[in-house]
Amino acid sequence: MATTSFTAPKLSSPTFQTLCRNLPLSLPIPKTLSSFSFHLSPFLSRFHLHHHHPTPRFHPRRLFAVRAESENGAEPLRHYDFDLFTIGAGSGGVRASRFAANFGASVAVCELPFSTISSETTGGVGGTCVLRGCVPKKLMVYASKYSHEFDESNGFGWKYDTEPKHDWSTLMANKNAELQRLTGIYKNILNKAGVTLIEGRGKIVDPHTVDVDGKLYTARHILISVGGRPFIPDIPGSEYAIDSDAALDLPSKPEKVAIVGGGYIALEFAGIFNGLTSEVHVFIRQKKVLRGFDEEIRDFVGEQMALRGIQFHTEESPQAIVKSADGSLSLKTNKGTTEGFSHIMFATGRRPNTKNLGLESVGVKINKNGAIEVDEYSRTTVPSIWAVGDVTDRINLTPVALMEGAALAKTLFQNEPTKPDYRAVPSAVFSQPPIGQVGLTEEQAIKEYGDIDVYTANFRPLKATLSGLPDRIFMKLIVCAKTNKVIGLHMCGEDSAEIAQGFAVAVKAGLTKVDFDATVGIHPTSAEEFVTMRTPTRKIRQSSESQGNMGHEAKTAAGV
Amino acid sequence: MARKMLVDEEMNQTNQEEAYYDFDLFVIGAGSGGVRAARFSANYGAKVGICELPFHPISSEVIGGVGGTCVIRGCVPKKILVYGAAFGSELEDARNYGWELNEKLDFNWKKLLHKKTDEIIRLNGIYKRLLSNAGVKLFEGEGKIVGPNEVEVTQLDGTKLSYSAKHILIATGSRAHRPPIPGQGLGITSDEALSLEDLPKHAVVFGGGYIAVEFASIWRGLGANVDLFFRKELPLRGFDDEMRAVVARNLEGRGINLHPQTNLTELIKTDNGIKVTTDHGEELIADVVLFATGRLPNSKRLNLEAVGVELDNTGAVKVDEYSRTSIPSIWAVGDVTNRMNLTPVALMEGTCFAKTVFGKEPSKPDYSHVPCAVFSIPPLSVVGLSEEQAIEQANGDVLVFTSTFNPMKNTVSGRQEKTVMKLVVDAETDKVLGASMCGPDAPEIMQGIAVALKCGATKAQFDSTVGIHPSAAEEFVTMRSVSRRITCSGKPKTNL
Repeated sequence: MATTSFTAPKLSSPTFQTLCRNLPLSLPIPKTLSSFSFHLSPFLSRFHLHHHHPTPRFHPRRLFAVRAESENGAEPLRHYDFDLFTIGAGSGGVRASRFAANFGASVAVCELPFSTISSETTGGVGGTCVLRGCVPKKLMVYASKYSHEFDESNGFGWKYDTEPKHDWSTLMANKNAELQRLTGIYKNILNKAGVTLIEGRGKIVDPHTVDVDGKLYTARHILISVGGRPFIPDIPGSEYAIDSDAALDLPSKPEKVAIVGGGYIALEFAGIFNGLTSEVHVFIRQKKVLRGFDEEIRDFVGEQMALRGIQFHTEESPQAIVKSADGSLSLKTNKGTTEGFSHIMFATGRRPNTKNLGLESVGVKINKNGAIEVDEYSRTTVPSIWAVGDVTDRINLTPVALMEGAALAKTLFQNEPTKPDYRAVPSAVFSQPPIGQVGLTEEQAIKEYGDIDVYTANFRPLKATLSGLPDRIFMKLIVCAKTNKVIGLHMCGEDSAEIAQGFAVAVKAGLTKVDFDATVGIHPTSAEEFVTMRTPTRKIRQSSESQGNMGHEAKTAAGV
Repeated sequence: MARKMLVDEEMNQTNQEEAYYDFDLFVIGAGSGGVRAARFSANYGAKVGICELPFHPISSEVIGGVGGTCVIRGCVPKKILVYGAAFGSELEDARNYGWELNEKLDFNWKKLLHKKTDEIIRLNGIYKRLLSNAGVKLFEGEGKIVGPNEVEVTQLDGTKLSYSAKHILIATGSRAHRPPIPGQGLGITSDEALSLEDLPKHAVVFGGGYIAVEFASIWRGLGANVDLFFRKELPLRGFDDEMRAVVARNLEGRGINLHPQTNLTELIKTDNGIKVTTDHGEELIADVVLFATGRLPNSKRLNLEAVGVELDNTGAVKVDEYSRTSIPSIWAVGDVTNRMNLTPVALMEGTCFAKTVFGKEPSKPDYSHVPCAVFSIPPLSVVGLSEEQAIEQANGDVLVFTSTFNPMKNTVSGRQEKTVMKLVVDAETDKVLGASMCGPDAPEIMQGIAVALKCGATKAQFDSTVGIHPSAAEEFVTMRSVSRRITCSGKPKTNL
């Protein structure tokens, strides 16, 4: 990177601060101070290493602290290489950096060198979403969906003389070309916004100093946006397992793959490999996939995926992986051993990348999962250090990291303290069929509101009637009985992710079931079903709770 | 207000007069609006009869079928063909995703047609069952109004049945019409186009409306050469001009030859096919010529004039806001009234009618923010005002947000086709006045946006909604910078 060479003022903040205090206040201060600092840097940085600078004290109430600082005068005058130094150029980091720069801040961001597989030493501008998450995943989903479309197209009169075959290397090459293009675009975006990009591993040295591979940079604010990485539990033979990073960049098609885990990543990869004609086995600890999702959605997506040929092994926990002489892998679980896998993928969660960042030594508090603790404004326990995105383990979604990054830039550099708003955040699972949802699950809604009306539709879409495939669509609206507000919306079936977005606007705006009903349908679509649900499938009432455990199942049965 | 009182007043008399009529409601026409009104009225306790012409995919004065245009000759079969046709380009796109397919793919039109017909026969049966389950009595035959409370049904064998009804509902829909040019008999309408024996090799489509662009897309997707002729500079008059241009570009991008500002003047049968002549003097040979030049209300053989039901100059039955005709006991819903000719609107009108007449709840259909879709390939979907309408109607400035992007799927498939989205916002109130999108999944995406617009959502509310990543739809909630601001006084606008 060309950018790495010219900005590198090795400057330790505490001493420079003292120095600046002696300068007359009226002195115009150059923004980057690079020529000035070069002379000072050699001895200052050495000096710094032995000198502990006390953390500046801020008002105990966060809100005030934020205001005071963003408004200007409260902080002692002091100069830094940058107004903001961001560690990690993924979704949240890039967003915060760009917006901060747009608001007039001088900003640098550091990021590890590009690789499709992440590690302590590799990353890449764009981050998980672009390089090892949303984007390559979705491209693989597109690729794998075709096998279903070939089947569908038969029902519409299309015929194949020979069964369509998939060439793995074409897909990988085209996918990687796209990732290269995107990482380039992200670099450009930073560049255009005037953000200095530094390639290397950032580590926090003190509340205002970041070390990137031995060079020190000072900043008024430091943002940690280093994301998360897949986590593989330590069981015998775990070295033979792959994670989602590797699964997105396999050199050849896995013939028979075991996927351990029941979360969205597990389901997405199950769909991908199944569509690309691998034999797929999913091992989940629970009875159902997708813990945390609406129970009916969990049942429905499991059934639909099984119909497409994915084999689920429920209530099985992995205990060991054994490699046999022929190179194939066996997965031993509490229930037995399944043999003959070419690949075993663990989709058993992700962990924040908080190791070796210097957090403990500066006093940035980390919770027991390794996530950085932040307040509502994304501020860590050290007032000049902030964190957004997966490293904070709040809601680990790209658009949420974007929201957090944007809010932070506003808070710091636009005099507008802004809290990210986590209400009614929609999300999608790109399983096949996909899921789209916003708001509460039925279970959460009962807990929170007690009395709710549930509307469901389970139908065979027009396309499936012609294709003859067993595809169905499930939709669900959850309405607060007292206010008539739609508090949850769930869908599993073709186009769910696209369909849910518009409804998310409606749910976020607090619209009622009456508002949904007043909207005319778009015919013929699947989505129109959401505005034509006339009769509740069940009404759940907690009011008659006096007789004790009038569970929701009982009422469910009575409701129809 | 006066009308509302009249409705109420009349309903108070219902109980006394009930006994004098064979039916509380007799519906002529069992399409979307008629079936909905009949069923809902029956659910309110009314005794309901309905008549419909015998079933056949191609309609005429004496042919129809329970389910109506939407199910038999419109939305449903059209969408089925669009699905079928969309596979053509889908399969091409598969190659860059690593799929190895034969150079030339086989497509069997007869199979698709056969399955389509099976499906509409199935739906026809479902509709009949819906009626019988609701307790509605179905008569097969041609209905005619004899008096304000009297209908006559001519059955297939020629026998005539006569019934009295407290209310009569006309829901006979509309039919495609052909322009009066020499040789028009050689052309077909959308009815026949949905049931062609063979897939055309070279199709000429005349018309610029949604039906024209949909059929052009279907045939092109299935491999035919298609020439599309229309009178205006762009297709889809009435839609947002910018989006019209996008559709035109996409149609061309998919290989359809566009002939704007061109009329067909004559069709002549030749040995090689139909010779088509235009008013620009062009001549070309086609094996199919489709007239998609509009539809006319089916009001001719109902004896309306004799009873005093007023029609407008297009032949549409004139109704008030409650769908009542000039004869108080006679009502009309759906395409025959030529208000907004969409299935869900006919459903809304049918529902409101039933509520008004039998549900003791006078209800006017609400035509604001009715979303709709054009199933061209790729599709267009809109809700609310076009930019032009917004400028026309706004008191203050209008903000336009647009986003043109390469959908993610195309980054690998290599397809050169942009998705375009647009929000039109009232600068003063921040309300989103209109939304449109042209690109894959647009109709599915627009439905939720329509709920938001219907309820007066503001741009700030759109912005506060978190995106679903990676989707196309998320673009609607991430349009940060305004593309242009149109001040009310200036109103600069291209005249497309």
